[in-house]
Amino acid sequence: MTEATVNSNRLAQWLFNPFKFIAGFKALLLGLSIILISGFVGSFGNTHFDGVLDVHTGLEAPMWFFLAEGAINWICMAIPLFFFGLIVSRSSLRIIDVLGTQAMARWPYLITAVVMLPDANRRVAEYLMSTLTQNNPTAAIAPIDVSIFVFAMIVVLLMVIWMVALMYQAYAVSCNIKGAAAIATFIVSLIGAEILSKIVILLIL
Amino acid sequence: MKVLPTTCPSCSNQLNVKSLICESCQTEIQGQYELPLLSRLSFHDQDFIIEFIKASGSLKEMARLLGLSYPTVRNRLDEIIEHIKPAEKSRKEKKA
Repeated sequence: MTEATVNSNRLAQWLFNPFKFIAGFKALLLGLSIILISGFVGSFGNTHFDGVLDVHTGLEAPMWFFLAEGAINWICMAIPLFFFGLIVSRSSLRIIDVLGTQAMARWPYLITAVVMLPDANRRVAEYLMSTLTQNNPTAAIAPIDVSIFVFAMIVVLLMVIWMVALMYQAYAVSCNIKGAAAIATFIVSLIGAEILSKIVILLIL
Repeated sequence: MKVLPTTCPSCSNQLNVKSLICESCQTEIQGQYELPLLSRLSFHDQDFIIEFIKASGSLKEMARLLGLSYPTVRNRLDEIIEHIKPAEKSRKEKKA
C-alpha cells in the first residue's frame, strides 16, 4: 500500500469515522463545543435545529433557545442508542462514549449553520411560504437570493446525509454493534429521537 | 517471514503439528500435537495481544499507544475473544 493510499484512507476515516480515533471525554468536550457553537452561529441567521434532523429558518428566538435545541437533539438521540446498545451489544459499554461520539457526530450542522447565515435564505423561505399560503406573494426576491438559497439547500442536504452517517458510525463504534441489528436499532432510535425531540422543543417553545 | 499456516488449505479444518525439530542437534520428534490456542490466531491478533500484555492489560494505555479511541481498542479485543471462543470450546470438548 502506497503512502498516498494510506493518507487518503486515514482522511476518509477522519471524515466518516473519526470515532476510531476520538471517543470518551475528549469527544464529549469537542462535541458539546460544536453543538453550542452551531446554536450560537444559527441564532444570527435564525436557523433552528428543531429536531434531530431538522433545519428551519425564520423564527426569531432568544439565544438560549438555539443552544437548547442542539442539546435536546443530542440527548434525544444518544439515550435510546445507549439503551439499545445495552440490549444488543455483547461489549461492556461506557455511556460517555455514546454521549461523546453522538455529540461529535453533529458537527456537519455547524457548516449548516454557517451556510444558512445569509439573509437571502430567509427571504426565499418567506417568499415560498407566502406563495404556499397566498395567491399573490408579497415578499420580493432577487435572482441572487435564489442562487444562494439553492446552494444552501444542496449543502444542507449533504450535511444531513453526512451527519446521519456519522451518527451511525458513532453508534457502531461506541456500542460495538454491526450488521442488521445495528441498522435496525439505529433506524428505530432515529425515528423515535426525531419525534421525541420535536415534542420536547415544542413544549419549551 | 513465513507465516505459520493454522488451517488446512483443502478443507479449512484446524491443522495440527506433526513434527518438531531441534535446530541445534537436528533431533526430530514426531507425533500429533494441537497448536496452542494463541498460535491459531492471526498475526495481527497475536500482535494485539502482545501489545495488550505490554500495556499491563490497560485498554486506555493501549488506546494511547496505538493512537486509537478506547471503544475501538475494546471492540478489537472483543473481536479476538470471539475468535478464541470456538477454539477453546473445541479444545474443552476434546479433553472431555
